[in-house]
Amino acid sequence: MDNKEQKQTYKINRRGFLKVGAAATAMGVMGALKASTKVANAANETLNYVPGEKGQWSKLHPNPDYSGAAVRYVEHNDEWLGTTRIVGKIKNVSEADMGFNLAARGLLGEEAQKEVLRFVSKYPLSAALSKVLSAIAPDSAVEGKPAEKKLPIPDPEQMSKHIKDVAYFLRADEVGIGKMPPYAYYSHRATVGRDLMASLPVESWTVPVEERLPYVIVVMVDQHLETTLASTGYDGISSAQSFRGYHATGNIATILAQYIRNLGYNARAHHARNYAAVMPPVIIAAGLGELSRTGDSTIHPRLGFRHKVAAVTTDLPLVPDKPIDFGLQDFCRVCRKCAENCPAGAISFDDDYVEYNGYLRWNSDFRKCAVFRTTNKEGSSCGRCMKVCPWNSKEDSWFHLAGTWIGSRGEMSSQLLKSIDDMFGYGTETIEKYKWWLEWPELY
Amino acid sequence: MGTFLVFLAGMLFMAAIFFIKPRAKQKEIWKTVLNWVLFVVWYAITWMGISFIYINASVGHVKATSTAIFLFLGISVVLGFILARLLGFIKVKKVSDSATSQL
Repeated sequence: MDNKEQKQTYKINRRGFLKVGAAATAMGVMGALKASTKVANAANETLNYVPGEKGQWSKLHPNPDYSGAAVRYVEHNDEWLGTTRIVGKIKNVSEADMGFNLAARGLLGEEAQKEVLRFVSKYPLSAALSKVLSAIAPDSAVEGKPAEKKLPIPDPEQMSKHIKDVAYFLRADEVGIGKMPPYAYYSHRATVGRDLMASLPVESWTVPVEERLPYVIVVMVDQHLETTLASTGYDGISSAQSFRGYHATGNIATILAQYIRNLGYNARAHHARNYAAVMPPVIIAAGLGELSRTGDSTIHPRLGFRHKVAAVTTDLPLVPDKPIDFGLQDFCRVCRKCAENCPAGAISFDDDYVEYNGYLRWNSDFRKCAVFRTTNKEGSSCGRCMKVCPWNSKEDSWFHLAGTWIGSRGEMSSQLLKSIDDMFGYGTETIEKYKWWLEWPELY
Repeated sequence: MGTFLVFLAGMLFMAAIFFIKPRAKQKEIWKTVLNWVLFVVWYAITWMGISFIYINASVGHVKATSTAIFLFLGISVVLGFILARLLGFIKVKKVSDSATSQL
């Protein structure tokens, strides 16, 4: 009798077996999930950090500010960088071949070669900004060895939110994190001032860029709304507007890179006085803009062209943001306002892209742009395309929010927004009441 | 100022509804619906125009302000006239009757 009972006790039917198995699997999964949360929370507990909500952009800016634009996200892949089509191998370019350096080397004419040395410094305010920015120009300011001991940090998602909050805390207007495209690095970077570029062989003042880090943090600062409203785009304040952005972003990026190195990870800052990478591709990779009709400048859905950026390349574990698509390719195809207003005639009126270094873009001429900006006799540098572009944010209002929404909805609505922009005179007006700066035409 | 304008717009909207209610109701339903739809469209365009003009003028967009005055207020006056005519605030004299009586 006892043996019979014992046998019944151990007997289990197939349904029961499956139920027990399912329950054990569910408990295992729940346990694993809880355990990983506990691990993350353990790090957060020692850091006294309350994690941000899932899907949140950052704690200080829970949502990214794209104004009214309808934004779609683009996956990272090898055939596209955001909305830019890659059709071949993109070669890394040398810093020696960027516009102002071509001017300094005497390849854009005698006048440009002479004026490139003073086109910023001839206006006292931009000269001041540039000089102060030079303090963080040396390699020792932008790069260095990380701390030997890595400090505990939260998981990559929370760390990404934290890094964005650091940038906002340091007064960035926008920040994004991208997968660093390897072709965004310069092949070689310049190591001397522009005054020496013509007299020495290129090989003697360029060094190869060998760094390859997986992520890039891009910080963006506005070039100032009211100043843009009052400026022609190519008067005295133009270069100071640029250097307002360069100075602010350069400092933010340099501090951010040093902070990451203090945590024990590699990081290098890239700013206007010390680049090892080209900025437009990293802006696109970090979801802060699309390539525009100008060919080598990007437009942000809220700030338009009215921004400057600096970047930090790093191996800090982060979760990169996705590139964005807010309909700019359709918009630029029909608008052409920058081309109509460019004093240098540097911006293309073409309908279609051309192939350039392995990717498709509009056929604008950065050489003409560099010549005009260096030799401008009515001011210092030029930002006329920035001034007239309908994507530049205006004052906060329901109709400008509606306008950016309309502009991001395809070619027909883009044509409508451009027509409305022209009808109301936005972009081409100069509002005198905001003109706060001084002009010294004798210096130009 | 913006908050005050929103408050004013709401108060006037309610006042206008009470004011035109007795005249808006017609024997045919479609005429009643037309009156109310026209009123809402006219009211929205008028206040959109006021808001647009106010913001552009305060920032200093001269061309946008002057263009909007003609565009929005022009549409507002035309729609307002049609609405007033449909609601019976403006009546047209029957010229043919007086002409017949002179014969």
